[in-house]
Amino acid sequence: MNTTTRGADPLGSAFIAELRRIVGDTGMVTEPLELLTYECDGLPHLRHTPPAVVLPSSAEQVQAVVRLCHRHDVPFVARGHGSGLSGGALPIPGGLLIGLARLNRVLDVDIPNRRVTVEPGVTNLEITRQVAPHGFYYAPDPSSQQVCSIGGNVAENSGGAHCLKYGFTVHHVLAVEAVLSNGDLVHLDSAIADAPGPDLLGVLIGSEGTLAIVTKVTVKILRRPEAVQTLLAAYDSISAAGTAVSEIIAAGIIPAAVEIMDGVSLIAVEAAVHPNFPPAEAILIVELDGPVAEVYEQFAQVEAICHRAGATVVEVARDEAQRARIWKGRKGAFASMGRVTPNYYVQDGVVPRTKLPEVLDRIRQLEARCGLRIGNVFHAGDGNLHPLICYDERIPGQSDLAAKVGAEILEYCIDAGGSLTGEHGIGADKADYMPKMFSDDDLDVMLTVRRAFDPKGLCNPGKVFPTPRLCGEVPGPYHAHPLEKAGLAERF
Amino acid sequence: MGPADVDGVTPRELVEPASAEEVAAVLASASRERRSVVMRGGGTKLGWGRKPSAIDVILSTRRLNEVVAHEHADLTATMQAGARLDEVNRVLARHGQWLPIESAFDEATIGGVVATNDSGPLRHRYGTPRDLLIGIRLALTDGRLIKAGGNVVKNVAGYDVGRLISGSHGSLAAIVSATFKLSPLPAASETLVATFARADAVVAALSNFASSQLEPAAVELRVGPAVAGPYDSRAHVGAGCSRPYRLLLKFESTPAAVDTYIDRARALLKPDGSDVVSSQSELDLWREHIQAPWRSPGMVVRFAWLPASIGAVLAFVDELRNTVSDVELIGRAALGSGVLRVDADARVQRSVIEGLRSRSDAFHHVVVLRADAAVKEQLDVWGPLGDAGALGASVKRALDPKGILNAGRGPV
Repeated sequence: MNTTTRGADPLGSAFIAELRRIVGDTGMVTEPLELLTYECDGLPHLRHTPPAVVLPSSAEQVQAVVRLCHRHDVPFVARGHGSGLSGGALPIPGGLLIGLARLNRVLDVDIPNRRVTVEPGVTNLEITRQVAPHGFYYAPDPSSQQVCSIGGNVAENSGGAHCLKYGFTVHHVLAVEAVLSNGDLVHLDSAIADAPGPDLLGVLIGSEGTLAIVTKVTVKILRRPEAVQTLLAAYDSISAAGTAVSEIIAAGIIPAAVEIMDGVSLIAVEAAVHPNFPPAEAILIVELDGPVAEVYEQFAQVEAICHRAGATVVEVARDEAQRARIWKGRKGAFASMGRVTPNYYVQDGVVPRTKLPEVLDRIRQLEARCGLRIGNVFHAGDGNLHPLICYDERIPGQSDLAAKVGAEILEYCIDAGGSLTGEHGIGADKADYMPKMFSDDDLDVMLTVRRAFDPKGLCNPGKVFPTPRLCGEVPGPYHAHPLEKAGLAERF
Repeated sequence: MGPADVDGVTPRELVEPASAEEVAAVLASASRERRSVVMRGGGTKLGWGRKPSAIDVILSTRRLNEVVAHEHADLTATMQAGARLDEVNRVLARHGQWLPIESAFDEATIGGVVATNDSGPLRHRYGTPRDLLIGIRLALTDGRLIKAGGNVVKNVAGYDVGRLISGSHGSLAAIVSATFKLSPLPAASETLVATFARADAVVAALSNFASSQLEPAAVELRVGPAVAGPYDSRAHVGAGCSRPYRLLLKFESTPAAVDTYIDRARALLKPDGSDVVSSQSELDLWREHIQAPWRSPGMVVRFAWLPASIGAVLAFVDELRNTVSDVELIGRAALGSGVLRVDADARVQRSVIEGLRSRSDAFHHVVVLRADAAVKEQLDVWGPLGDAGALGASVKRALDPKGILNAGRGPV
């Protein structure tokens, strides 16, 4: 790695000058205050101020920047819009941060072939905006879809509430153009089906920025379904709501979305976004979509199942406004937690759907034992849990306790045959947990694949794979930055 | 019984391990001794790939044929690589579920369909095997057994090594077992067979379809000779080249819904003739359709196009039909992928492949699946791999440093 010349310039002034020559003055960020913007992503408790940020505006500039890094053995981190929840875009010591926000052009909207090609800085929702007038949409819908970048979605293999039926980013990306760590440009798959050979694109998607930097993405778009039907059912217990879900699946129905919210999260959303949900210990939301005849027939079945499972109330959305209200309550869940707790920590784990009752029970016991309230919001159809661990950082020891509780919940997920993450990614946050899910040999094979893409290990090192943590870094909930504590800066 | 020839090359040895550990041990020793290994499941697609110079070992998964687990309430199942697809689906059907992968070959195995990522008409709704794969266990050339993915349908922990292996044709590692997400068997299914006299009517029909909100499970295009099948006695379908173009739309849903969709589809496509096929006749129709290119003689080439370029595909096939009598095209019309069967001599076979490859404005990924040995020696069956080729080679070197797996046969 390059030697440090000055404190503020650890990459070396010659290197910085070269970068400036590639991206111009307007493409460089080196001012300490401006660099603070880039010190973390959507996982705020892990922070590192990057020595410099470049903002290339073309694939050629990305190539030139990466080539320069390769020549000088400088590691780099690609960043989209910084909404990731696992620290995938966390800057690394001595590494360059490459911001892709300026690669934000929509390159091709091909309605007859149902394809759209964009640069990585285009937001997820912008793709749908582009094609909506033609009656199409882009299916993956992470809750952050208004702000998250498609490049970030590719890196994280993002899902969303509707992935039970529609799959993840990997099922919707047809091709990418990417810059390898030596600056070479590769085209993986194509807008045309059936490129022969191993699925290099499939392994790149979800690799969390550790294999290459994507500079162009071709996605498929779907025709809007003819009908959408949404209902909300209130239950006295989570297990009753879970029974309804099991029976829906057993009836051979694959809903577009199946969500459950528990009592704690319901109190929070009522206080914050007033969706006017009926009083309940658990709310089940089921959405079906597709052609009219099928949706209406199956929806009647779902309604009957919900009643049979003991619903105290079943509300069917009669129009788009009612449907939007239901989803506002669900999608506002995380943000609403501030109404019931000073601080909270969102966990992301997966269990086989049938193990949900068992794992939720263990979480209840843990809650009673640890003294912290734990809310639960989950994608019930695919067993993806989002426990919300409530704590108060002003009480000594609570933030560390919240971190321990989060880690213990992950243990439950692994014990039940599940996964460390369903959609937020491993990133920097859970890298050290990977050995709980994978053997050394399993991880070694992934690293072997990584070396085939990036022999020098320059692409986002320190993410996904376990490494010894840096001194003083603790996984877990957010700890305020000293500047924040001193009231000199705030987070947006 | 010795192993069967591959492209006229007789393998030296057949091994049939009974456990994952044994598979790994075979690979480790072959790697040490630099002996080339070709993986074999049902042996149905063994000829796909370049002609081998020599094969030391055929590694068969025949004895690894168990359905390991069917978690029906979770809609997932795990099976060993050598389990036959049809057997697997018989087991899964006990709980009203299935693994929605079709094969033209009865003996096709789980390992084989993942290794080739081969699929059928229902790909339109369900995707290809790699889209359904959620976990995999592999034996590596260094003798290690590893896993990737898991047992849950939603999981982004670590690299998706299972997807990487799919489509590698046994050239990166040996698949030992695989875990998939499943689908419920549909409550009802019917197929609309729409026939057309003119290519431009097919193009118009597909254009109408593309803007509709119908959601069929399969949208197939078929051009070629009369079908010797269950419905050829019906005067308006099949027989006779007066209507050589057929679109087959399969609808899977609830019984009432299926009937509605068939009527809507017919109104949308405006065919010259049509028929609705259900029950056993429908099963027979699709079986015939899927197997057709392989049951008849000739070269089989897979290629792809942008769906809206269907006119160029039909023009190419029609021009060919003017000079060659036995030509058949079967394709996924809405996805832009199909196979072309041409029964002609080696010179014509070669000119068809070169013709397709020269039209890179319209056709891509022209892969020769079956052809005369002479043809396979004269050109690369895989075609150009573009700038991804070097990256694929780098992955190959990393996972199979001695180059023993599917040596020289590709695709990497």
